[in-house]
Amino acid sequence: MATRPARPTTVAALAGWFREPGVLTATPILIFFLIGFVGPLVIVLGFSFLPERTFGFHGDWTVENYLQIFSESYYISFVWSFGFAAVTVVCNLLIAYPIAYGLAKVFGRWAAPFTLILVMPLFVSENVRLFGWMLFLLKGGGILAGSMEFLFGVETGTLLYASGSTLLGLIYVYLPFTLFPIVLGLSMVPKDQVDAAGDLGANRWQIFREIELPIAMPGILIGGLLTFVLAVGAIAEAKLLGGQNVIVIAHAIQHEFTYAQNWPLGSALAVLTIVITGVLVLFAMRRLDLDMLLGRR
Amino acid sequence: MDHEKLLKKMLQNDPVRNAGATRRDVLKGIGAGALALGASAGVMAPGLSSAARELRLLTWDGYVDPRVLDGYTEASGTAIKYELHTSDPDSVNKLRAGETKIWDIINLNNPWARQIMWPENLIVELERGRFEPYFDKMLPMFKPPYKWSMSLDNEHLLGVCQRVDTFDFVVNTDVISQSTGKKEGWDLFNNADMSGRYGILAYDNWNIMHMCMGAGLHPFKTKTDDQVAKFEETARRWINGAKLISDDFVAINLALINGEIDAYISGGTYSVSAARLDGISNLYHVVPESGPADGKGGINWIELNSVVNNPDLHPEAFDWLEYILQPETSYWVATAGGFLLPVGQMSQPELISKFSKEELNSFQWDEFDYRISHAVEYDVVPDYNRLYDIYTAALREKS
Repeated sequence: MATRPARPTTVAALAGWFREPGVLTATPILIFFLIGFVGPLVIVLGFSFLPERTFGFHGDWTVENYLQIFSESYYISFVWSFGFAAVTVVCNLLIAYPIAYGLAKVFGRWAAPFTLILVMPLFVSENVRLFGWMLFLLKGGGILAGSMEFLFGVETGTLLYASGSTLLGLIYVYLPFTLFPIVLGLSMVPKDQVDAAGDLGANRWQIFREIELPIAMPGILIGGLLTFVLAVGAIAEAKLLGGQNVIVIAHAIQHEFTYAQNWPLGSALAVLTIVITGVLVLFAMRRLDLDMLLGRR
Repeated sequence: MDHEKLLKKMLQNDPVRNAGATRRDVLKGIGAGALALGASAGVMAPGLSSAARELRLLTWDGYVDPRVLDGYTEASGTAIKYELHTSDPDSVNKLRAGETKIWDIINLNNPWARQIMWPENLIVELERGRFEPYFDKMLPMFKPPYKWSMSLDNEHLLGVCQRVDTFDFVVNTDVISQSTGKKEGWDLFNNADMSGRYGILAYDNWNIMHMCMGAGLHPFKTKTDDQVAKFEETARRWINGAKLISDDFVAINLALINGEIDAYISGGTYSVSAARLDGISNLYHVVPESGPADGKGGINWIELNSVVNNPDLHPEAFDWLEYILQPETSYWVATAGGFLLPVGQMSQPELISKFSKEELNSFQWDEFDYRISHAVEYDVVPDYNRLYDIYTAALREKS
């Protein structure tokens, strides 16, 4: 009777896999990634199940921190952060699309200097830029109020310390993160296809809806996602321009890790933020075809 | 599809791809990075001789002025590494979590050494014969044995004092006079007319102490449930009535100067001296004439420099403490970072002569004795966790 060849065991398969040159050369980076990126997240996750105000991995595991979050008013901070992020994405898409269109299709040789102007603020610290906005919007000696009074004799009052000024800061800070992926997306729209659509009688709206938007969509989605994720974790705008009249979720987490010294509760808030953001991002990513974006098919 | 072909073509012609580093370059970079990482880890390796490493400070900002650090390094050849505190309890918890192996010196406000760090074996005692003569040369309030520098049993010297002042509230004297501020005290912020006209400098632990004062409670005594309810009512009213809350005193001073607000809770010479030195003398630190803390309304803080119970303590740790007490260094500490504060050594003529009239005026030196006599000494808030949870809930629910 012929014997059947032995099936390789899982261990043998893994050993074989680890002998692959690609896996071997990638291993140091993988280890670095696990220690530097996944490791801290695992620690945060672990801390979130420890009793309140514990500073080491001792004590009984508990879900008390999560219960506390759901039973107290932390939902307000979540609503503000995710609300601000969503409105920032919408506003930035509306602002960035025409600029991106100009950079990709209209400005020609002026696109590079224009891009430089848009990128330059990124070389300056976010706090300094927001402080600049504060000086601009201040009531008494502010640039806007002073100019309005000098030029038109109008007293504007203050525009600071409200949710509107926080939103202004978010839109301003994260505009480049929305803009450049859209520029990339729009630059992938072939001119021939647009011309052909025009020759076949498509109007401007039809060209936008049926050609430009679908082709540029990966860039638009990436820009939107990037802005959303960054804006959810934003803290400086609400602190500096919003006068802390709203406590965003990053600020609530900061409270717990600093003055409250309640690392487990801070960790639970951080885990929930990551989970909610992750679910929303995964939902959006399902609509994103990376292979198409990278030209692999 | 056509556009897909175009995409492929674009990627093939991508100048960024072709101009990028080769795999060899990347591997070289990783190798260099790993070496650098190993080298930096070596600095913190416990096996390294303590004499060969830098002196490490966990401190408030006054002691990291370049003049202070460079002065020591030039004289001793020892480099200094430091980290600034987020808050007193945060740094105490760092030591509790094992960072005694890292730090040589810790500089905190007065209660922590005798009530927490010494009982928990986080700091070591100082030689009294070596350091008490420095207390003799300080302001009379520091006459040895000075309570806050001693262990609870009054046997062990735990640190040396330097920066000292009060921290309460700040007014714009163009709108609220000094005398009104002092007479009204914390009731100024209980007045409904002040709603929307003041800010809160978000130094959270101080806010809690001041909200206790506003609620008519002694901040450093244990509270009953009724008193906690009173605290909550005051905290919510003050937070809801604040026009802005900021942890940046420059931002809050700017709002005060520009008329956005007329006063702010939790402020003192620490937060206004730089602006006053710039000539904005209408920013004024108020200590109330009276209050609920043994009849006092102000809070007096004192910074204490202690030596960490590091198993591999730097041999120059105690020398550093002597260095900062010298008149020249004391002046640098008092004027560190451009904001000015009194130090315990102000009684020494060779130190006070270094200050200009404007510098003394910036931290309201003429009123120092008044402030100290109308202030209760900073201490640990016994119900801190409970009060802090109320405070953060009030911030989240601010309407």
